[in-house]
Amino acid sequence: MAEPTPPDVLDKAAQNNHPANGDGLDELRRLLIGPEQQELVRIQERLERQEALLPEDVGRVLPEAVTLRSRQDKKVTEALLPTVEEAIGISVRKDPQTLVDALFPVIGPAIRRAISEALSGMVQTMNQTLEHSLSPQGLRWRLEAWRTGRSFAEVVLLHTLLYRVEQVFLIHRETGLLLGHVTAGESAVQDADMVSGMLTAIQDFVHDSFSAGQSDALETLQVGELTVWIEQGPRAILAGVIRGQAPQELRNLFRETLERIHREFAAELESFEGDAEVFAPAKQYLEACLQTQYDASRRAERRRVTPIRVVAVALLLALLVGGFFYVRGRRRWGGYLARLQHEPGIVLTSAERGWWKHSIAGLRDPLSIDPQALLKDYKLDPSSIDARWEPYHSLTPQFVLARANALLGPPDGVRLRVERNTLFATGSAPHRWISETRRLVRVIPGLEQFDETGLVDESLGAAQAVKERAESRTILFLLDTTELAQGQAAEVEALASDLRELYRLAPAAGRNVRVEVVGHTDQLGAEETNLQLSRERAEQVRVLLAAKLGDRFQLTARGVGAHEPVREERTEEDRQLNRCVTVRITLQDGA
Amino acid sequence: MIQKKICMLGAFAVGKTSLVKRFVESIYSDKYHTTVGVKIDKKSVTAGGQEVNLLLWDIQGEDGVQKLRPSYLRGAAGYILVVDGTRRETLDTAYAIQQSAQQTIGLVPFVIVINKTDLTEQWALDEAAIGELTASGWSVYRTSAKTGQYVEEAFLTLAEKIMEA
Repeated sequence: MAEPTPPDVLDKAAQNNHPANGDGLDELRRLLIGPEQQELVRIQERLERQEALLPEDVGRVLPEAVTLRSRQDKKVTEALLPTVEEAIGISVRKDPQTLVDALFPVIGPAIRRAISEALSGMVQTMNQTLEHSLSPQGLRWRLEAWRTGRSFAEVVLLHTLLYRVEQVFLIHRETGLLLGHVTAGESAVQDADMVSGMLTAIQDFVHDSFSAGQSDALETLQVGELTVWIEQGPRAILAGVIRGQAPQELRNLFRETLERIHREFAAELESFEGDAEVFAPAKQYLEACLQTQYDASRRAERRRVTPIRVVAVALLLALLVGGFFYVRGRRRWGGYLARLQHEPGIVLTSAERGWWKHSIAGLRDPLSIDPQALLKDYKLDPSSIDARWEPYHSLTPQFVLARANALLGPPDGVRLRVERNTLFATGSAPHRWISETRRLVRVIPGLEQFDETGLVDESLGAAQAVKERAESRTILFLLDTTELAQGQAAEVEALASDLRELYRLAPAAGRNVRVEVVGHTDQLGAEETNLQLSRERAEQVRVLLAAKLGDRFQLTARGVGAHEPVREERTEEDRQLNRCVTVRITLQDGA
Repeated sequence: MIQKKICMLGAFAVGKTSLVKRFVESIYSDKYHTTVGVKIDKKSVTAGGQEVNLLLWDIQGEDGVQKLRPSYLRGAAGYILVVDGTRRETLDTAYAIQQSAQQTIGLVPFVIVINKTDLTEQWALDEAAIGELTASGWSVYRTSAKTGQYVEEAFLTLAEKIMEA
């Protein structure tokens, strides 16, 4: 503001000149172009202050300017790029929701489509895997995998890739006109131009009929063995006619091919007017899609005889034969072990079956059956078995009895039986055997008691018999004397003989013999006299017997008078009988 | 070789399919109309001094313009509007279809075919109506799919127009 502005100068000049009236031209100029002059001065001022462009001016021309320049080159885009990028960055940092809302309609369908395609690919793979692992073919492939050392997945892949892409169409999306068409070998081909149009029409039909979303399209047509896979691009469609089962990867190849064609022929696709010649170079890409993974040579090879095949068959046979022997050997061994397990007196502690040699170990009662002898029942080779048996005493009643029989050696008339730790003996046995058995029972393993209620001691029986015979003898005396009656000497001799036998038998039955010589009288006469007489009679017989038997025997004598008559006295005959001497014998348990 | 997509348009039962049959040898049977709603045939002609493959999209006739599917029209280089000479109302339909097609694919060449000239007794179109069509600069052909009269000419004219465009 230091300098005066031109309008002021002009105004001053005008005012100054006005009273002078000397220069009418200036006045006229002021009158005529005063406002324009002022405007000129203002513009000049703005130019000098470099404020030529006001924001409102730029705002007015910017859209046109950008449009004009964009037609020329890409400078505007390049200039704006950093700003736009930064703006997006700031927008996201400030409030991501705005951008999310804007992008959602685009991203949603894209993600859905990607996921559904990934899923359908996965399901296909899973189906294939299931099918291959549960079918006879699958088993054959497993065998092949095992034989060739490849992974099962690899083998499955090799077999499932039995497909052939027979035709590939490249179709202009808008017109349905054919841009390119390739076929594999001798495939029967209809007029490709019409097929191309029809494919497009069918796609439109499906799309329109089922009011699918904008980005959705018919992707697969299935006709028996043939499948048509259709890939959609913005300007072109790729359709592949496939015979057999193609893997999901092929679809990826189709997609990549279509994308590549879109990239390389972008301008040609956009300006397509019906001349397909320009797409001739794309043919090589289409031909790359004519994949054949159906391998006739490999199938034929399977039927040819090759050394590997012969070896494989031989191996298989060997495996079968080996398997048979293995199974048979296993059955025999199993039978043998089961038999041993049921055999009393044998306890198996371990059994191992090796390829060539089997081993077996356990406890064995010496009285049990010989395990080696059993081998032949099961057609097992004794030399192939390494057996180690530890001896032990089985407490099975059967073995306890066998041991008791062996140890006790019962006499012929005796039968032994074992029940719950008790040895039962029945029959008759010498006293010596019985007492020996009583002692030994406790030292036989598995026995604690001896039951001899069913056993008769035959030594004692014999002694008893002699005792009874001796006791039944009467040695008769004459009336009122100590004189032996007629013939009674023989009776004394017989009694002595009995006693001698008794003395011989009693020790075998474990008894001591006590003999009491008893004197009797009849009831006639005084009691005192009779007692005296009976004592004398007894003493006389004792002496007689002692003389015959020697000192070894203990004989006692006593008189009972008429108190213990041999027979009740009623007649003279009874009286005669009561004038006698008898013996009482006791068989005492001797130590 | 140049290829062009051509649509056959017109009301129901005006004889579009019969015209195409006269003109081409087809690989698809008529059944396609009822199943897919469209049948595509091909005819090679010489137009503009070179060989041109015409791919004829024969669309199932509709008596309502609304049902004309834009997707079928898309990318067409030209179309043939078929009118049944024995039914006056098919001409109105043709007018409507023409409007609709123009909205969808813009100004592309087309010819009008008034079919069934063999049925002279039932003829329902007066010369005035036809004259109106010619007056507005449209190419009009009176054809008979039955006798084949002017069928070839109609298609060839359209091909020429397309190649000139």
